[in-house]
Amino acid sequence: MSSGFFNATFFDQAVLGITPILLAALAGTLSQRVGLFNIALEGQMLVGAFAAVCGSHFGGSLEAGILAAVIAGMAFSALLAVGSAFLRGNDIIIGISLNLLAGGLTSFLLRTLYGVSGTFSDASMPGLTRLRIPGVASLDLLGQALGQQNPLVYFSWALVALTAVFLNKTPWGLRLRGVGEQPDAAGALGVNTTRYQFIVTLIGGGLCGLAGLQISLGSLTLFSENMTAGRGWIAVAAVMLGRARPLIVAAACTLFGLSDALGLRLQGEGLPNQITDSAPYLVTLAALVIAGLRQRKSSRQE
Amino acid sequence: MTPAATIVAQLRGRIEPLLPIATAVAISLGVCSLIALSVGLSPGLMFAELLKGAVEGQQLGETVARAVPLVGMTLAAAIPLRAGIVNLGADGQLAIGGFVAAIVALYLPAPGVVRMVMALMAGMAAGGVYAALAALGEIYARVPLLLSTWLLTYPAKGFCGYMVRTTFKDPTTVWPSTERIEVSARLGQLIPGTPINQSLVLILLLAIAVIFIDRRTSAGYEIRLRGYNERFARYGGIGLPRQTIGVMLASGAIAGLVGAVMVLGSQYRYTEGALTASQYSWSGTLAALLAGGEIVNAIIAALFFAALQTGGFAMERSVEIPRVLTMVLESVVILFLAMRGAIWRRK
Amino acid sequence: MAFLEMIDIVKRFPGVLANDHVNLEVKRGEIHALMGENGAGKSTLMSILYGLHAPDEGHIRLGPSTLFLKSPLDAIASGIGMVHQAFKLFESLTVWENIVYRREPRRGLFFIDSARACALVQDLADRHGLPIDPRARVADLPVGVRQRLEILKALYRDANVLILDEPTAVLAPVEVAALFKVMRNLAAAGRTLLLVTHKVNEVMAVSDRITVLRDGRVTARLETANTDPATIVRAMTGREVTLPTSRSRRETGNILLDVAGLRVENGGHAAVDNASLQVRGGEIVGIAGVAGNGQSELIEAIMGLAPIAAGSVTLAGVDVTRESVAARRATGVSYIAEDRARTATAGNASAVDNLAMGFHRSPPLAVHGLLKLDAMRRWARSLIERFDIRISSEKTHVGTLSGGNLQKLVIARELAHQAPLLIAEQPTRGVDIGAIAFIHGELLNERERGRGILLVSAELSEILALADRILVMYEGRIVAEVAREQADVTTLGAYMTGAVAV
Repeated sequence: MSSGFFNATFFDQAVLGITPILLAALAGTLSQRVGLFNIALEGQMLVGAFAAVCGSHFGGSLEAGILAAVIAGMAFSALLAVGSAFLRGNDIIIGISLNLLAGGLTSFLLRTLYGVSGTFSDASMPGLTRLRIPGVASLDLLGQALGQQNPLVYFSWALVALTAVFLNKTPWGLRLRGVGEQPDAAGALGVNTTRYQFIVTLIGGGLCGLAGLQISLGSLTLFSENMTAGRGWIAVAAVMLGRARPLIVAAACTLFGLSDALGLRLQGEGLPNQITDSAPYLVTLAALVIAGLRQRKSSRQE
Repeated sequence: MTPAATIVAQLRGRIEPLLPIATAVAISLGVCSLIALSVGLSPGLMFAELLKGAVEGQQLGETVARAVPLVGMTLAAAIPLRAGIVNLGADGQLAIGGFVAAIVALYLPAPGVVRMVMALMAGMAAGGVYAALAALGEIYARVPLLLSTWLLTYPAKGFCGYMVRTTFKDPTTVWPSTERIEVSARLGQLIPGTPINQSLVLILLLAIAVIFIDRRTSAGYEIRLRGYNERFARYGGIGLPRQTIGVMLASGAIAGLVGAVMVLGSQYRYTEGALTASQYSWSGTLAALLAGGEIVNAIIAALFFAALQTGGFAMERSVEIPRVLTMVLESVVILFLAMRGAIWRRK
Repeated sequence: MAFLEMIDIVKRFPGVLANDHVNLEVKRGEIHALMGENGAGKSTLMSILYGLHAPDEGHIRLGPSTLFLKSPLDAIASGIGMVHQAFKLFESLTVWENIVYRREPRRGLFFIDSARACALVQDLADRHGLPIDPRARVADLPVGVRQRLEILKALYRDANVLILDEPTAVLAPVEVAALFKVMRNLAAAGRTLLLVTHKVNEVMAVSDRITVLRDGRVTARLETANTDPATIVRAMTGREVTLPTSRSRRETGNILLDVAGLRVENGGHAAVDNASLQVRGGEIVGIAGVAGNGQSELIEAIMGLAPIAAGSVTLAGVDVTRESVAARRATGVSYIAEDRARTATAGNASAVDNLAMGFHRSPPLAVHGLLKLDAMRRWARSLIERFDIRISSEKTHVGTLSGGNLQKLVIARELAHQAPLLIAEQPTRGVDIGAIAFIHGELLNERERGRGILLVSAELSEILALADRILVMYEGRIVAEVAREQADVTTLGAYMTGAVAV
């Protein structure tokens, strides 16, 4: 089995590919539900990826890396939170400028802190390590993919369920949904809408920080410029396709992760990487187009 | 009102809108000073080198040469913004335009000048059509332009990169690039001793045309009014889908043209990643955002950014401050203004 | 002895004295009507009572205590509830979720007890005679039920004083009667109701006492039993305003609009179902109906703003079913849209730009696709003058204009199109009585000039005053056509609620 096209490595890579997108998409889901369009996921991830490397490198431990990634992600998202929740700025424009700022800022700091441009890598830097789940880990085809991942991967799965329960079963989830749908009405009933938007954006920033950590310290331990490579935008697409419902969003992320792995697998088969690298974007676009066409058709037929 | 009071009132009317921008610039200078200080560099020295490097002697020529593609990309971003549409895929359209122009300039069996003109037109067409794909996606499948334009960037760059590594690779170099375009098909030097070439004239004419269309034509009126209120535009009888396609065609064509003039005027070949390395589309988008889509102000912002970037190069050479700091500076300006709601107030 | 007192309330806004030493006394368990024209200050007064605005002077007493309301939360905590004219509901959520929002019964520390929430809502509904399905989704509920939901929301929060802001604006006559019954029940159970309205007949029907405001001051305090409509109107307007009405019959001309078998779909169901109607030159055809019964969709389909699923639209003899908005306008229709700020103008654009819309492609404002900027300015100035639009200059952004002036701007532009057919959708909503008289006068003048007018209005009085023929829409269908001579509120009301089938 493991020598076939869809072998154990393929599924392992798929799961690895899903994780950062999933974490960012959950951040996007929460934002969407509280009424903010968070297109700064990409930038928050990039900042998180860089901070994770800094923390791990200078702090000398993975814990320092995690702390740095979460704090940096939250600090960066605070700009969006303050701008759109408190100052009523346009969330899209703030998001665009944050994404551009993240690229410039991380490149600048890469040059000044590490004196390199392009890529900084240090194999001795502590990164995420795999965790064996007894039983699952020894499955034939999916053992590596499902039972031997790093803790962040398992955390992201738990978080999907947690987000769904939070939104649908708890008072705060109900209030959050209300804020997103009708801020006036929520405010009239005494919910501090600004505070909800602010806190949700910060939590999203922390999640994006973790997503970045998975990218920079997940398998290899390195940072290279713009290494998030559009994953934040793919997460935005996943939120859209899943209509901000956690389980469907997770399903969309799975599709994109699989296409990522498919690209890598095809590269292994000898296809040039310029073409296979495009796979996740093309799959994302195709999914958006198909979903849009189906919606159009059904609204016409009903 | 007395004449003097009228003049004062008018002046105030002119100056007041600029206040938030001035504040934003001041704050971003402050932020950059802090960043410089935090990594052990002197802000005073940094800004002095930046300024010298932007306008001193020969550097002015560099600034102008840099302003040409940057103003082009600013126009590419500003036209859709004027209608309230965001085109984040200018990088891909730039790459496609440059690549197609290089191929036409290299392989079209025709005299040099004809090849050049055809290459420019082909570059525009390629960029325009690629951008229009995103417009069709929004009209027929409701895929938001914001998302599709960005996602389309990667396949475009990947495709052009693949082609210059395989079919169209120059076998004499190790770089992933096409062969060199012969002199007769290039855009010539405009001012000897400077990197300024004939593309300056092209972009200048383009800018004038765009300003004229924006202010004095019915089509420009329709674009502006859509930017103010899309529902009103629809109610008034403006055909939005057609306009979306037109605006994206124009935006992509301008990005494609910039790619073509960069290939024909300064690089003389298409090399993977070379057109997007300077991140003109990035700065162009920021300049257009800074101006809220208003064309003349966007061009002024673009000129300012071009000077900043040329200065950045000099600064990097003389005081070893990475020039990407100028990009940080640019985005902090916009970020601050957007956060304050000074531009693009939330609807 | 007054239960609720607002004493010497003063509230200033930039350039306006909205409340000028207003005193309001309300007894426990009464239905007290607060009356006045648009802009008389009644909304401001109620906003102060509900904690949305702080008064510049004066104070509020409720029972034995003085209230200091910093926000609606303080008002709710003091037992004051408000049903806003524009409902504040979460449409994607269920009835029970809307009601218990932020006061959710819990199971354990972290979870909502949805079963108990439903039971609580059911019990509340039963006790007050306001039947509702707790598990229904708000998006699926008709307007009348949504209003019931708003009342339940206030009752769930133990409101002793209930403010109802223009509650009948969205209701059919039968629903109005049901609402009045609920109001009387609540009052009988000891709750105090404040009815904010400008409709005299309703006040006569349901209220115990009346306070009338004009220009921010109280002009009358009346016992309903001892007063008459004329007295109230005089107190409200300060003059005898007679709105122009059309009583002259005139010959009608050619068919300008012919809608046949029209069907418009919205989210899967038929928003407009097999609708047919004609409008001829020289007549005003009114469409009556409770808001949300397909009138907007019908108009949008006629204008080309909504897709037509079946049927045809013919303008001045030309089939335009598949044509664009621009082509329809060119064929012969102009349109005063319902929402002047959101649809019919661009607030951040100048009056020049706003008034040029639709004229910007042809002479005299444009030649061969080039704008004539001088001509555009002159054009704007001439319309501003002719329609007496109060604006500082033609370059001013129209977002700064008052409701009445903005509506005049829209009407000026649409009348200037000189299209044979005019569609007027809620042309007088939210404007003061002076502007109403002006607008009605203009519409009647256009009719005299031979133009055909299709008038949509939720105000039956407006339809009855202007229309020559009246069509009634109910659930997407045109259920009745009545000549004005045979029309009255009772018969139209019956059709509006589907009580009478055709």
